[in-house]
Amino acid sequence: MDNMVAGTLKKSGPPAAKDLANSSPQGNKQGTTWRESRMMKRFMKVFPPLIVFILFTGGWEAIVRLIGIPPYILPKPTDIVAASIENWSSLVDSVSTTLMEAVVGFAVSVVLGISIAVLLAFSKMVERSVYPYAIILQTIPIVAIAPIIVIWFGAGMNAIVVIAFLISFFPVLSNTLIGLNSTEQNMKNLFYLYNATKMQTIWRLRFPAALPYIMAGLKISCSLSVVGAIVGEYAAGIGGGEGGLGYAITVAATRLQTPYLFACGLSASLLGIAFFLLINAFSKWLLSSWHESEMR
Amino acid sequence: MAVVATNPIDSSMEQATSAKGEVLVSLQDVGKIYPNGTVAVQNANLEAGEGEFLCFVGPSGCGKSTIFNMIAGLTSPTSGMLSVLQTTPKEARKQNEIAFVFQEHTLLPWARLIDNVTLPLTLRGVPKKQRIEEAERVLELVGLKDCMKVLPRQLSGGMKMRVSIARSLISRPKLLLMDEPFGALDEITRQTLQDELLKIWQQDKKMTVLFITHNVFEAVFLSTRVVVMTPRPGKIAEVIEIPYSFPRNEDFRTMTDFAAYVRQVSNVLKH
Repeated sequence: MDNMVAGTLKKSGPPAAKDLANSSPQGNKQGTTWRESRMMKRFMKVFPPLIVFILFTGGWEAIVRLIGIPPYILPKPTDIVAASIENWSSLVDSVSTTLMEAVVGFAVSVVLGISIAVLLAFSKMVERSVYPYAIILQTIPIVAIAPIIVIWFGAGMNAIVVIAFLISFFPVLSNTLIGLNSTEQNMKNLFYLYNATKMQTIWRLRFPAALPYIMAGLKISCSLSVVGAIVGEYAAGIGGGEGGLGYAITVAATRLQTPYLFACGLSASLLGIAFFLLINAFSKWLLSSWHESEMR
Repeated sequence: MAVVATNPIDSSMEQATSAKGEVLVSLQDVGKIYPNGTVAVQNANLEAGEGEFLCFVGPSGCGKSTIFNMIAGLTSPTSGMLSVLQTTPKEARKQNEIAFVFQEHTLLPWARLIDNVTLPLTLRGVPKKQRIEEAERVLELVGLKDCMKVLPRQLSGGMKMRVSIARSLISRPKLLLMDEPFGALDEITRQTLQDELLKIWQQDKKMTVLFITHNVFEAVFLSTRVVVMTPRPGKIAEVIEIPYSFPRNEDFRTMTDFAAYVRQVSNVLKH
């Protein structure tokens, strides 16, 4: 029995559609102009925000220089660049540590979030009895209980991963559950009438149909896992030997190394953006052949 | 199918409700009252025999979908006796001899046509090789053999419905239940699909089709008998035999006989 879900999700997209529509003999010429216009479009997409970026950093640099604000209050962009080059190796260490923690925390929340949601979807009864507690878990401000987690799991990697997990877990769980529960009634009837088992209905119908929702959940929680890792480092990092970005930020702040503080903050947001873009690309790859949300 | 050319207007109810040959579906005084008190179906009597093509026609709210759902086993009648393949609807469904087509194509958007079409076999655990053979057979029947690896969204509405029909035929069902399958299609596509459906049904000879529609022309064109239903409360007003011979084609649609049958059905509906 081949796996209908995984095997067919991704490919067999456009080519057949192109075969169906008869290509005109002038296709080639149209193709090149089309490609040019596409490049133009891409350029137009990148160009305006780039201009804004240059104006913003240029203005920042100019104003700080003109007014003469000291770098420990507001560093110039060039100060930030200089600080990051100066501390390059420790910055890279911090980023990679945080990245590790965020990725592990995220992975755990994806695995647990999706599997618990599938378990809950099996029976309305279980869902009704367990889901409220998942919501309570979500409403607890994780920052407030972070020290407890540090006490339980020790100041270090473990506690930080747990905190990253706790922050990024709920979006995966709730989105997966909503997705699993929003299968069309017609489709469920069809499976029921063809005597599908509960397992078959989950794996061949409800789970693939929930994938767009699941991916939306992953997009939210991947950025949250970076936040969680840094929060965890605030709470636990100090005793943890090689600290991540959160630790570096605390240290830089107490020493008033504002330019490096900015460098750390920027690295943290770049990390979040990179993680999001990666998940976004994965979502596109998985869904673009059949789901409206990811079609170009 | 032996056809005795009689006056189309001459068909008494008693004669028309009982079927010839093996009885696949039988309703005796079947009624359905919903918990809120709505009488969906009242005292329905009907027998559908092997190789028949029965169309249920009537306005919305006349209980034709309720009858469909009861035969499919999605809901149970609140009174009367309903048997499908000589047993209860739920038991009958387990024999894998019944197939379904709905108004929506209900294709899995992430699965290629071949995977969509073979779904009933996949759910039953039929080996892959056999599934592919069967898929080729049914996609050939609906003229989509070259599109095995295409995804549903790349097809037009009519083509999706063809795939849906192919999927229903893959298990070689004894009984095919169709709930307004062509309701969402344009008139031209609808007629093409009617022709194709009749062709497929005639090739099989033994398959019984129960077809729900609100289109009188469609009902007359397709059926061996038309079950006319009226609403409030939903009941079978009359069963009208359409003794015109098969194969039926474009000529039949423009015949005076056809018009007479349509008028006969319409009269019952307006009554």
